[in-house]
Order: sequence, then C-alpha cells, then structure tokens
Amino acid sequence: MSYEMIALFMFASMMLMLATGQRVFGAIGAVASVSALLLWGTGSSDLPFSAVMKVMKWYPLLTLPMFIFMGYVLSESKIADDLYRMFHVWMGPVPGGLAIGTIGLMVLVSAMNGLSVAGMAIGATIALPELLRRGYDKRMVTGVVQAGSSLGILVPPSVVLVLYAMIARQPVGQLWLAGVFPGLMMAAMFIIYIAVRCRLQPHLGPVLPIEERTVPMAEKIRLLGAGILPVGIFAAMIVPFISGYTSLVESSAVGAMTAFLAAVVKRRMTREVFEVSVRQTLAISCMFMWIIVAALGFGAVFDGLGAVRAIDNLFTEQLGLNPWMILILMQLSFLLMGTFLDDTAMLVIVAPLYVPLVKVLGFDLIWYGVLYTITTQIAYMTPPFGYNLFLMRAMAPPEISLKDIYTSIIPFVMVMILALSLVMIFPQIALWLPQTIYAR
Amino acid sequence: MISAMQTYIKWVDQLNYRVGRVVMYGIFLMVAILLWSAITKIRFLELNPSLWTLEMAQFAMVGYYLLGGPYSIQLKANIRMDLFYGSWSDRKKAWFDAFTVLFLVFYLGVLLYGAIDSTVYSYEYKQRTPSAWRPLIWPVKAMMVAGIFLMLLQAVSEFFKDILKLRGATV
Repeated sequence: MSYEMIALFMFASMMLMLATGQRVFGAIGAVASVSALLLWGTGSSDLPFSAVMKVMKWYPLLTLPMFIFMGYVLSESKIADDLYRMFHVWMGPVPGGLAIGTIGLMVLVSAMNGLSVAGMAIGATIALPELLRRGYDKRMVTGVVQAGSSLGILVPPSVVLVLYAMIARQPVGQLWLAGVFPGLMMAAMFIIYIAVRCRLQPHLGPVLPIEERTVPMAEKIRLLGAGILPVGIFAAMIVPFISGYTSLVESSAVGAMTAFLAAVVKRRMTREVFEVSVRQTLAISCMFMWIIVAALGFGAVFDGLGAVRAIDNLFTEQLGLNPWMILILMQLSFLLMGTFLDDTAMLVIVAPLYVPLVKVLGFDLIWYGVLYTITTQIAYMTPPFGYNLFLMRAMAPPEISLKDIYTSIIPFVMVMILALSLVMIFPQIALWLPQTIYAR
Repeated sequence: MISAMQTYIKWVDQLNYRVGRVVMYGIFLMVAILLWSAITKIRFLELNPSLWTLEMAQFAMVGYYLLGGPYSIQLKANIRMDLFYGSWSDRKKAWFDAFTVLFLVFYLGVLLYGAIDSTVYSYEYKQRTPSAWRPLIWPVKAMMVAGIFLMLLQAVSEFFKDILKLRGATV
C-alpha cells in the first residue's frame, strides 16, 4: 500500500469507528492494533503496549490527576463563592460590571486549575443566576461564562498544554509561560468588548441599584481578602517551580494539597464533597489516560507507516503551498473539525497529525502550542459539538434555551479569532515570557 | 446461558468495583510521594533527595489508571462521540455496542498480549530500570498485566450486558 493509501485507510476507519459511538479510546486503539497487525510486520503485536510504557516514562503526565483533583475540590467545595462576592461588590457600580467581574473570576479560577470544566461549573452555578437576577441579558451572560471558562486551558496550569507537550515533545514549563500573556490578552479583550457593548446598550448589563451599591468600605476591604485564596494557591504552586526549587510535577502536588487544605480549613470538605472529588478524579484521569495510551499507539503506527510524510508531501509538493498558507489552512481545518468532533478526540487526533508537519515547516513548536490551544478553545465552544455547550446546557437555569447558548458565543468567538490572529502575526506575545525567563 | 452471563457480570463488576474503590485513593498516594520528594529538597532539613520518588510516583500513576480503568467504565466516564449515538434509542445503542465493543475487546487483547510478552522478557532477564534507584521492572509490568486483564474482563461484561439487554433479560 502506498503512504497515501495508508493515511487514508487509518484515518477513514478511525472516523467510522468513532461515528459508531464506541468509547473513543476503544475506537482509536482498535484501529491502531488492526493497522499494526496488518501492515507492520514483526513486533507489531507489541506496539500498542509500548504506548503504556511510554506513558509511564513521561513524568509530566502526573500533573494530570493532580490538576483534575484540584479542579474538583475547588468547584465541589464551592470555595469560590467569596471570590464572586468580591467582584460583585467591587465591579457592580459599572455598566456591565458584573460580567466584567465574572471574567476576572474566571481568570483567577483558571490560575488554580487546568481544565475549563471547573470554571464552567463555578460560572454557571454561582455567577450566572446572580447576573440573571440583576437583569443582565441572558445571552450576554451565557457567552461570558463560556468564553471565560475556556481561559482555563490557556492560563497556566493547563492540562491541554501538558497533553500537547507530550505529543510535541516540548518542555511543559515553557509552554505554560507562553500561555500567560495570550491568556491575559484574551481576557482583556473580552473585558473591552463587554465594557464597550454595555456602554452602548446599557440594558444588556445594568448597574447595580443604589441600595446594593452602598456597601461600607470596611466590608469592601474585607472582601478583598477572598482574593488571597487563589493568589495563594497559585503562588504556592508557581513560585517554587519558577525559582527552580521544585519540579513541575511536585508543584502540581503542592497545588493539589493546598487546594485540599483550603477546603478543609474553610470547613467545606464534607464527606460528600470528598467522595465526589476523589471518585471523579479517578474517572476523568482514567478517561484521559486510556485515550492517551490509545492515541500514542495510533500515532506510532501512523507515523511509522509513513502517513505523516504523505500528508506533508501532499501539501508542500503537490499543492505547492508556502508554510504560512499551510499553517492557516491547518487552523481552519482544525476549526472545521471542531464543529463536528468531540474536543478530546480532536485533541488526540489532530495533534499527532499536525505537530510533525508544523515542525517540518520550520515553525516554533512552543508558539504553535499556544495557537493550538486557542483553536481548541474556540472548537470547545462552537456548535454543534462543543463540550462547553453541553456542560452549559446541563448546568444553566431552564430559561436559557439551547438557541440562546448557541447565539451567545458568536461575539466571543469573534474576539477569540482576533486574538488567535494577533498571536499568529506577533509571535512575541506568546514567546517573550518563556524566552526571557529561560534565557537567564 | 443467560444465567451464566448474569453470574459473570455480577462477579466481574463486583470485583472491579472493589478494586476501583481502593485504587481511587491512589491520588493521595501520588500526592504523598511527590510532596515527600519536594520536602527532601528543602536544604536546611539536610535530607538526601530521594532517588526513588520519581519512579515510584510513575508506578503509582500507572497502577492508578490501569487498575482503576474498569471502575471508570462502570462510572460511564469514557467518552463516546455522540453525534449520532446520543440520539439513538437504548435498543439501538445496545445493538451497535454489542458489535463495536468487540473491537475494544480485540484492542485490549492485543495490549494484554504485548504486556505479558514484555513482562516475561523482563522477568527472565531480571531487567532493571536505567536510573540511580534501579528497581526491578517486572513487578510493575505484572501490575500492568493485571490492570489490562481486569479491563478486558470488564469489556466482556459490557458485551454481555448488551446481549442481555437485547434478549430482554435483566442485567
């Protein structure tokens, strides 16, 4: 079989298997095993298992269960309530202020965990009902919560960047640092959008009524104390890491422990919270790990059989495109796939396909990691398939329809595409921080 | 035949549930190992940085997700692409699953074969990991074999459940 045929065969059979609705890891793993046995030759039956060994030896993967645990502790124990109060009181008097505050809340939550799920849970259960009660436009509010929670995978710590790092063989620390400024920039762009929109159309985000605005200054100052929690957890995790004192993985364990202790001290670690956090951590970690094992097996076979070369050849030789056009095409196809593929599946399918190609084209893989993550964020949110959309549906109050959720994200997706283009045109937005810190 | 399947499902699900409920607390084992590793680096305590923590944490992680895998299937945590699947009736889902789960069984079978092969090799040659600690690798691989085997048992149990559903019997 020619390289092109192998690529086509493996890709098509995987899509077919996924479409049957079998568990993603089973679908990918089965295609990998069958292709290995049919096409590889000696040693092929050991290929899928060698992925298990690869996963074991890949040390940074240990951060995955740590951050998942942290995320569940934070969202289940509801220690973010105070944080929301802080933004509520301080930002309430500004038009659209509560929505702006929610973005701020999301940035802080993102800095404490690596998935978008925790931000979504906190946003949908704490911020959303409050904002609706204050007469905020429901589409504005759902959009804010979804866009804000997607920051979770860009602002460090980020689980998506850990997975990307594994596939691209790049240092996680640098990738995380590269995510800082694009993440903050995107948050700032969301805030500008909300502020401008609410100034032009004040009914979308009314200011708080006078009686609610007059909070004594002492109370305001006291509430600022709530901000210490996320800053403290983030600092406990990041400071020893940046100063080279603990490794990335040890830092994540420190973070998990700090979050757990914070919940205990605040008396929020009930038996039920404990049970749900521990059980869900196992469930979600296993889900991720098994997909990674299957995808690594798939990637090894796919790459080993020369399929990546076939795709590269197709783009550069036969279509005669220059690297930038290919890069833009890749991001576009990525967005397109994001509309009908599940996001985790996309992560493991697209990355092994595209990353080697990006490398061949001579682009910086750290920089591409950031582009990749922003594109994933957008794909998370675009219908009909977005993990966030379904989570939102499950968590949002009944008066918000699926149509509201779909339309609410449009302006935010446009802001994100703008951010993506900015990072593409000015790579220094992402690369300045890691280069400065690692140059020392 | 049906009662044999029911017995199998009962035993396997019970076994994997028990294993999963114990392994679930492995998250604290991993945290503890990593924290210990961080503590030994504090200079004024004058402890020798441990040689074993890094690998021990990796072994714990492998045990965590391989032995915990079957329980995660019971919890229905393993995502599916539900573009079509999500809108099907329970019966149609069972029909499709009954076929496609065999692919999962096949994949796990290949994994198990590779795992056993590799474990036997490591045992015969007394293989050690290339690190300063140098532990024997076969006990870890034996644990992998156990985890993949339990996963295989669970996948077959899921297959039986679909068959029973289609035959209209209670699971």
